Amino acid sequence: MTVLPAGDGAESTTRAAAPPVARRSSAAAWWRTNTSRRLAFGYLLLAPAALYVALLVGVPFFFSLYLALSDANVGDPVATFVGLENFRAAWEMDTFWAALRNSVVFLVVAAVFKSLLGTSLAFLLLQNFKGKKLVRGLVVIPFTLPISVSVLSWKWMYDSQFSVINWGLHTAGLIGAYGSESWPIWLGQPHLALIACIGVNVWRSFPFSAIVLLAGFTSVPLEVLDAARVDGCSFFQRFRHVVTPMIFPILIIGFLFDTVFTLSDLSVVYLLTQGGPGSATQILPVLAYQIGIQAGSLGRGAAIALMLVPLLFPALFLMLRNLKRRDW
Amino acid sequence: MSDLQPVRMDHVSVARRRFLKVTGAGVAGASLLTMLEARQAPAQLRGTTLRILTWSHFIPAYDVWFDKFAAQWGEKNGVKVRVDHIPHLEIPARMAAEFAAGTGHDLILNNSTILARLYYKSLVDMTDIYDQLGKKYGGWIPAAKSPIEVEGRIYGIPMYYILLPMLWRKDLFEANGLKPPDTWELARVAARTLKPKGNPTGMAFSHCNDANLNWRSLMFSFGAAETDPSGDNVMIDSKEMREALLFAKAMFDEGMTPEVFSWDDASDNRFLASGIASWIHDAISAYRTTESTNPPVFKSTFIGLEPAGPGGKRVSVSAPIVFLGWKFSKNQPAVKEFLVHLVDNDKEGMIQSTGYNMPFLNDNAKKPMPIIGADPKMQVLQDFPKIVAFFGYPGPYTPQIQEVANLFVLPDIFTRVARGTSVDEALKWGVGEYRRIFSKYKRA
Repeated sequence: MTVLPAGDGAESTTRAAAPPVARRSSAAAWWRTNTSRRLAFGYLLLAPAALYVALLVGVPFFFSLYLALSDANVGDPVATFVGLENFRAAWEMDTFWAALRNSVVFLVVAAVFKSLLGTSLAFLLLQNFKGKKLVRGLVVIPFTLPISVSVLSWKWMYDSQFSVINWGLHTAGLIGAYGSESWPIWLGQPHLALIACIGVNVWRSFPFSAIVLLAGFTSVPLEVLDAARVDGCSFFQRFRHVVTPMIFPILIIGFLFDTVFTLSDLSVVYLLTQGGPGSATQILPVLAYQIGIQAGSLGRGAAIALMLVPLLFPALFLMLRNLKRRDW
Repeated sequence: MSDLQPVRMDHVSVARRRFLKVTGAGVAGASLLTMLEARQAPAQLRGTTLRILTWSHFIPAYDVWFDKFAAQWGEKNGVKVRVDHIPHLEIPARMAAEFAAGTGHDLILNNSTILARLYYKSLVDMTDIYDQLGKKYGGWIPAAKSPIEVEGRIYGIPMYYILLPMLWRKDLFEANGLKPPDTWELARVAARTLKPKGNPTGMAFSHCNDANLNWRSLMFSFGAAETDPSGDNVMIDSKEMREALLFAKAMFDEGMTPEVFSWDDASDNRFLASGIASWIHDAISAYRTTESTNPPVFKSTFIGLEPAGPGGKRVSVSAPIVFLGWKFSKNQPAVKEFLVHLVDNDKEGMIQSTGYNMPFLNDNAKKPMPIIGADPKMQVLQDFPKIVAFFGYPGPYTPQIQEVANLFVLPDIFTRVARGTSVDEALKWGVGEYRRIFSKYKRA
């Protein structure tokens, strides 16, 4: 007994009976329609970007995933599948949890200070004063200096013996002399060391926040601000209800960049403390580098580096979704 | 009769291809050995290129000499030589990149982080020239094989090692009636006496190579061990280790300031040069630099043998420097030829490094050694070759020990105790970290 599919039985039978040549010709006819051509052209235009993303983001990501699920090491080209073993090994390490906690603290504290300092600087740079262009050029210097040079300069400033910060504080009478209890050991006391590392990250990146905000502020039409002022809005009301909604997309993009840059920043901690003292400044990128590259355990290094994804993904997803909704 | 039965030949039959392979390798090996014996580079080296990756030596004059030496060897043998210098901490990342790409330098130097055991499958087997050089120069010192031997084969040539002796201020010791720091106990007494007078001591309790080296020297001199001789089992949980930890805690409390928690590899150099330190345990570059930065300190700083532990044992953990050659190199004969030539000129290298480079070969370690043998203050360095050890002692320098060192697990155990964690708790944490790392390699 033949069971006909649900729906129009006659049409199905006809389709089934149609010769392949006829089906091919109808497909060819579809390709000649304007819709198909428009679609093909659209995809063609999209292809380079898709390929670019696939090559530069997709391939490294899936390669990291492959490494994280294998026992790959730097000296052995043949790796075997080990499942979630590398993740389990990482979770068992005290240092990993310290690194995870420090990464989150680093990200949040740095973001708060970068927002505050970046906004203040952007407002300052909006004002008209003599030498404004020169000052605008100078403030981006921390961001443009080679990171190794700037971090090594900070290392000198944090030196336990010759710290210029300490000598300044001592001269101002705020701390005792070298060797006294009140002499801060910036990179040797656990909390101070983390603060010192965050400080350098903030110093390096807040000009970037300021520039992004400045670009946003200058895009707000003056008439809108004037209208708000005429309506009796205070400075903070104008900032909250007029400026922020208008520059929201720029803020989100700036915040996205900053989150990614901060969470993946290896150089500051690596050059200042290598994660020490103890695990006080250990963060995930440094730990991944030490295990993956220096010790050669690529699999475990990749697993630790991939732990950044669950941290980053929800934040990025929420931000981008919010941005998309506002676009509509 | 059994002797009349046909003999099965299949297990001894030699295929033509295999015969050619074996005889070819034999002839090549024999010609290499003959060539090395005769000290004459083979003609086929002419027109080739040798790319060397090395570190930026702490003694810049040595780099100048090395570059010139390599260029002269290249000119003599018709080989185009290119030498690249990078900071030694960047070498592991560069090696990983070159391995992944399957191309790069022919010869790569490793400093402290010795990666021979990780990459040995992709490294040139140097057993032939290692044995020959050993034979020629009275053998290698006992510690030489540790970082480069895998399954009985040698995958690198040890060039030199960097010592960390006691650098102590004779003027301060004498003014306070203190004996030279010949034992760790005497060093502690000196620190306890001199700290209140404004001259503390310091050994890094931080994430730096000095911390990895110094605390191992102390614990091994106390009789503790890092692994058993096989290198497979962790041995840090011992009575001797507990004594070493308690001693370190006491020495920190009595003779150091908290700045040691923040130190990098150059901090103790500055500490000595500033005139504050009563003694430090560091490479002689710290002493050398005071010659120009603080001549009075240079004059009164003396060099001591590794302090003895409670049982009189002395173990000096040093930083080994070895050259490795990639198997993917298209110029392996030049790699070996150059290394042999370099080792043949080891004494010149010692001179150019102003006594910083210590020799791995017994004949070169005979007294008087160049530079250090002629300097009354430095002559004591000639006694170190007998007591030199590397990470993992008494076991070999394995990848798991390398990972332990990269993560600064051992200095962190000492740091925890110095900061007030109990010895039991700190050791429990440390043993856990060691075992996790070791178990991964065991599973592999």
